[in-house]
Amino acid sequence: MRLMMSRSGIRNVLVACALSAGLLTNVTPASSSVAHDDGWLRLAHLSPNTPAVDVYLYDFGNPKAEVVLHHVSYGTVSPFLPAPAGTYTVAMRAAGAAATSAPVLSTAVHVQAGDAYTVAGMGPKDGLRLVVLKDDLSAPAGHSMVQVIQASMREHLVTVQAKAHVLGHDLAFATATAFQSLPAGSYVLHAAGQTESAENRIDLQSGSIHTLVILDAPGRLKIVNLTDAVGSTVLPPTAPATGFGGTAPIPGPSLLPWLSVVAAGLLLIAIGLVSLRRNRRQFAARRV
Amino acid sequence: MLLAGSLAVLGGGVAIVVGNAHDRGAYAAGPAPRVAVPHGPIATVPDAEQDANVPLPAFLIIPAIGVRTRLVRLGTTRGGAMAVPGTTAVAGWFTASPRPGAIGSSIIAGHVDSYLGPGVFFRLRLLRPGDRVFVRRANGTFAVFRITAVRTYLKTRFPVQAVYGPVPYASLRLITCGGAFDYATRHYLSSIVAYAAQVGSTS
Repeated sequence: MRLMMSRSGIRNVLVACALSAGLLTNVTPASSSVAHDDGWLRLAHLSPNTPAVDVYLYDFGNPKAEVVLHHVSYGTVSPFLPAPAGTYTVAMRAAGAAATSAPVLSTAVHVQAGDAYTVAGMGPKDGLRLVVLKDDLSAPAGHSMVQVIQASMREHLVTVQAKAHVLGHDLAFATATAFQSLPAGSYVLHAAGQTESAENRIDLQSGSIHTLVILDAPGRLKIVNLTDAVGSTVLPPTAPATGFGGTAPIPGPSLLPWLSVVAAGLLLIAIGLVSLRRNRRQFAARRV
Repeated sequence: MLLAGSLAVLGGGVAIVVGNAHDRGAYAAGPAPRVAVPHGPIATVPDAEQDANVPLPAFLIIPAIGVRTRLVRLGTTRGGAMAVPGTTAVAGWFTASPRPGAIGSSIIAGHVDSYLGPGVFFRLRLLRPGDRVFVRRANGTFAVFRITAVRTYLKTRFPVQAVYGPVPYASLRLITCGGAFDYATRHYLSSIVAYAAQVGSTS
């Protein structure tokens, strides 16, 4: 058992060293430059009759593309990308179009530190627009926050319900609801237009944020449940007590006695000096 | 500077995928079409895992401050607070928080000291942005994180939402105690929180 433990310990150290040195080749990099006060951006294609696009994300005024997402087709939503606070331009071009060609459409997004945004191409092909939706990143205790994006074109009006909670009544194509809080739990989601519908079971954890996207699928609607953000299901009211004080500085007795000793010493020296000078003066006077 | 560095270079045109795996339909990513590689950096997006697919955390390594500890499970106390490890020699993962490597703010707590000497997170406050943190999972894979900030908060002003609240990326919050020690209540008056963001994982 002991040997096993030490072996796994050694393995851990070796792997950590290898990872630090970048020696392991099967490391899947995610985001290597997230800063503490970054904002977050994700890009989505939610226009049913618009062919696939390339989505470009530029730092404002910077002609060099910072991020290019290729061949983004209807119903695709990227994960959140870290973005330092600032202004960005999101541009869409037809899939495969040259990066230097004029974009089909573009919009500016102002990203604030710590906030998360969805930039979605919405509407029909001939009325396509880029919509910026700001995510809600906090949920009341015991609740989950949910927004609905209605991206079905075949059903222009869709009603979305989670059990008895109506999340959106007759939601128009290419619109989104505000974030609404739902008690945490398991729900049967029901989305219905005039003729087509869809049903999904979803689990909403306390402290999680979700976006539900209603899409056109062949002969029916489709509900995509995106988990936007997750926190603890329980919010502890206090900070944990993680110390017993064994390394804390031990408070000694008051400094006052020491200070008075020092003060008394200084006083004695002062008196000594004064009397010395007086004696010298008297001595000098006697000699004259 | 901003997003470019954060993204892995990827050849060819690869479509990104919506939602969870079983939701991929005809309307999400089909077979990756061949398109010409355009100018500019080509990127793929960070791929945080869904919580259900992420294995449980087992071991924590922070080379910069010499931390190597197994991770115990921390539940909640009767008062609703987070439980703390029963020994000062190990750190623990808060089971009400997302698993390390899943989207969200995963919480790991450890003691700064015992009655006698240093605890597992004695040197946590010495971490600097850029330091690496490794979490080995039950299946042997590692989630790799990078420290983004180290903050000290008075316990009376502990930012519960910022630490435990929802975030849209795979993140770690390493928590211990610090600051002055109150010998009357035998508690430290401050908390130290090291924030980290996932930068990768091994498969």
